[in-house]
Amino acid sequence: MAKSKKADDVKTVAAVIQEGKATLTCGKHVVNVTAEGGDGVKLFLSEKGSVKAEIPADCAFRGDIVATYADGSAAQVEVVTDILEVRNLKKYFPIEKTLFGKTKTSLKAVDDVSFTLAEGTTIGIVGESGCGKTTLGRTILKLYESDGGSIFFDGNDITHLKKSKMLKYRTAIQLIFQDPYSSLPPRMSVGNIIAEAVRVHKIVPKEEISSYVHEIMQQCGLQRQYYDRYPHEFSGGQRQRICIARALAVKPKLVICDEPVSALDVSIQAQIINLLKDLQRTMGLTYVFISHDLSVVKYITDKIMVMYLGNVMETGYTDDIFDNPLHPYTKALFSAVPVPDPDVKMKRIILGGDIPSPANPPAGCKFHTRCSQCMNVCKFKAPQNIEYSPNHFVACHLYDKEVMSNLSRYDEEYEQLLAKQKQEEEEKAKKKRPHEKKEK
Amino acid sequence: MKKDSNYISIKESRKILKYNIRQMKYYESLKARKKQPSEYTVTMRDKNNVVEIDGLKTVFFTDNGTVLSVNGVSFDIPKNKVVGVVGESGCGKSVTSLSIMQLVQAPQGQVIEGQIRFNSDALGEDEEGNKLAYDIVQMPTAEMYKVRGKDITMIFQEPMTSLNPVFTIGYQLDEVLFVHDPEITKEAAKAHSIDMLKKVGIAMPERVYDSYPHELSGGMRQRVMIAMALSGNPKLIIADEPTTALDVTIQAQILELLKQLQKEQGCSIMLITHDLGVIAEMADEVVVMYAGRVIEKGTASEIFHNPLHPYTVGLQKSKPLITSASDQPLFSIPGQVPNPINLPDCCYFKNRCGRCVAKCDGAYPPEIKVSDTHYVSCYLYDKEGDNGKK
Repeated sequence: MAKSKKADDVKTVAAVIQEGKATLTCGKHVVNVTAEGGDGVKLFLSEKGSVKAEIPADCAFRGDIVATYADGSAAQVEVVTDILEVRNLKKYFPIEKTLFGKTKTSLKAVDDVSFTLAEGTTIGIVGESGCGKTTLGRTILKLYESDGGSIFFDGNDITHLKKSKMLKYRTAIQLIFQDPYSSLPPRMSVGNIIAEAVRVHKIVPKEEISSYVHEIMQQCGLQRQYYDRYPHEFSGGQRQRICIARALAVKPKLVICDEPVSALDVSIQAQIINLLKDLQRTMGLTYVFISHDLSVVKYITDKIMVMYLGNVMETGYTDDIFDNPLHPYTKALFSAVPVPDPDVKMKRIILGGDIPSPANPPAGCKFHTRCSQCMNVCKFKAPQNIEYSPNHFVACHLYDKEVMSNLSRYDEEYEQLLAKQKQEEEEKAKKKRPHEKKEK
Repeated sequence: MKKDSNYISIKESRKILKYNIRQMKYYESLKARKKQPSEYTVTMRDKNNVVEIDGLKTVFFTDNGTVLSVNGVSFDIPKNKVVGVVGESGCGKSVTSLSIMQLVQAPQGQVIEGQIRFNSDALGEDEEGNKLAYDIVQMPTAEMYKVRGKDITMIFQEPMTSLNPVFTIGYQLDEVLFVHDPEITKEAAKAHSIDMLKKVGIAMPERVYDSYPHELSGGMRQRVMIAMALSGNPKLIIADEPTTALDVTIQAQILELLKQLQKEQGCSIMLITHDLGVIAEMADEVVVMYAGRVIEKGTASEIFHNPLHPYTVGLQKSKPLITSASDQPLFSIPGQVPNPINLPDCCYFKNRCGRCVAKCDGAYPPEIKVSDTHYVSCYLYDKEGDNGKK
């Protein structure tokens, strides 16, 4: 799917439907589009005359889009629906509070993260431990209340929904946990575990629950006789299948997979990945795939987002990022993956040091303390998200033309900043001294 | 209805319990007996090996029956080499390493058969010029104390749980030295420990020396564990999944460090992992284990370029690569590892194997020599069998 979309990126004309109508012209082709109530839908017309309509996640439009060429013949429209859009999402955890409960300092677990996700595709969120990828997944699920930004799901803003109203979306967004050993209740049989949510949300009538559960179990590769067994009787791979079956039983649209295969053995890992891919094909699921294993991410995702200390470093289609990683962090991350071939000795970029504490992140670009291509600018100015090529974003000064052409100016600025800091420190020291004298 | 293999009646359960108690008492009494040094000294097959494992059998007496965790494992660890042991969880790779250290949980876990010959400098040669060695299986615990932590050391998977949270890093590092050399002074021990910390690439060794484990990050803790393992100048380091709990970037750092230290110190490493990438990166020789048995062993290039056993082939195919195409379904080995309590009489991989031959129904395949270094346990490569068919 990702590849077909990439081919269409040669789109030259874009328009937005207003008052239910829009007209596009590109080369010889003229297309009239009508869509009642479809205001805000983005349209693209390629030189070959194919029409693509992108429905953003914050647009509730789910009706028909009719397109006709100038000569009156009907044109086929490829509709891409964004099921999820996250805009400038922030999640801060308080670490220190004043006497009156005001937050003094906070840990920025997720800081200004935005992305869109089209229906039926997979986005991979990659990064080291502590980079906020799990927090991001849980904030999308609203297990954590966000501290800024907005989440649009299926045309609705769910950022500030109350618990009772959120119940409607609970079935639509599901989560698969990392550790299948601790995420299954040991006192419930497999059938009950899968049926519980089905019963609560009344997915199927009461009489059909058992046959429905059997059907789901079969889809997830679990045998019929497992229905009455308990989780401790199963191996890790089968437990993960139970977790997947439980998530899919409520007919979700979006599944957040939080490291679903990292606790499993290699041969079992392959089975689970294949199962997830098959289910996506048959049920049209959308995945947010959180993982630190880059080879798995490459295999299953259409889009990748690389995170570091709560910030997004690079986003783009999987093929683009793997073919041409831009950010120094992405490059280092890719080169650190061991290759199972004794003859391949990769040129390793070994990152020195550890990931800094997220409670006290470095100023400027958060990665500058470990970056091999660090410049003076990076130490005080946070980089902006730059579209390097279509749909390939990178947050690094190396690709910012404005910064790169004015390097000397920024160097000066940095020196001034350093001098200022020195002055301030000296002043502070001066201020302290009288106190010390008094105490003496 | 078919009888559930997981179900045990009370009668059976009692029978198992009685059997276990009898067996455990028997093996414990064997261990408690006073032994003469001649009883646990044996001769090495090759003096260039650090450790030779021969027909090792380790069992656990559990309430569900006897688990054959390690079932006749034999392989050598040569001097100055990295031997990688790969396998799925539960295949007995960790139990093998614990058997070498004499750390198997007693009395439930017992080494019932086989020899582990450790080439110690403390022993000379016999009259015929063969190198003498300790047999760790027979060795009394008091003697083992002198070897464990000094000549053979271990790096565990989880650095947080293997460091004591209530003592400083320095205290725990010095302890190793005090145990093996009671005459060492405090100052000398501290100097040596700080030297070790410096060696494993810790930036401020003096500060780390005085800090507690919770103040360090995962990568730093693993470095401290490596420093601890190195401080006795060991002959063999057993690294049991040393990087599984770490991030990829930190994993790269630690692997690089281990490789460099192994070359500097001239010791051998037994690297236990399930990650084929790590093995390819580090190991000179590879041992593939499955359900308590070695199914294939050889040099790294033999195992990776010419894998023979269907399980090794499957394991390599089922690992997604950064370079592989993502549009085809991933190869996966069907089924699961057999229950270790009631292992079948035939090849354990038979019901998951796609290349079974008629002979697979028979006894467990013997180790078949393919080349001087490459051995495989599979009837597909049994030349005598082929001749029989013709």
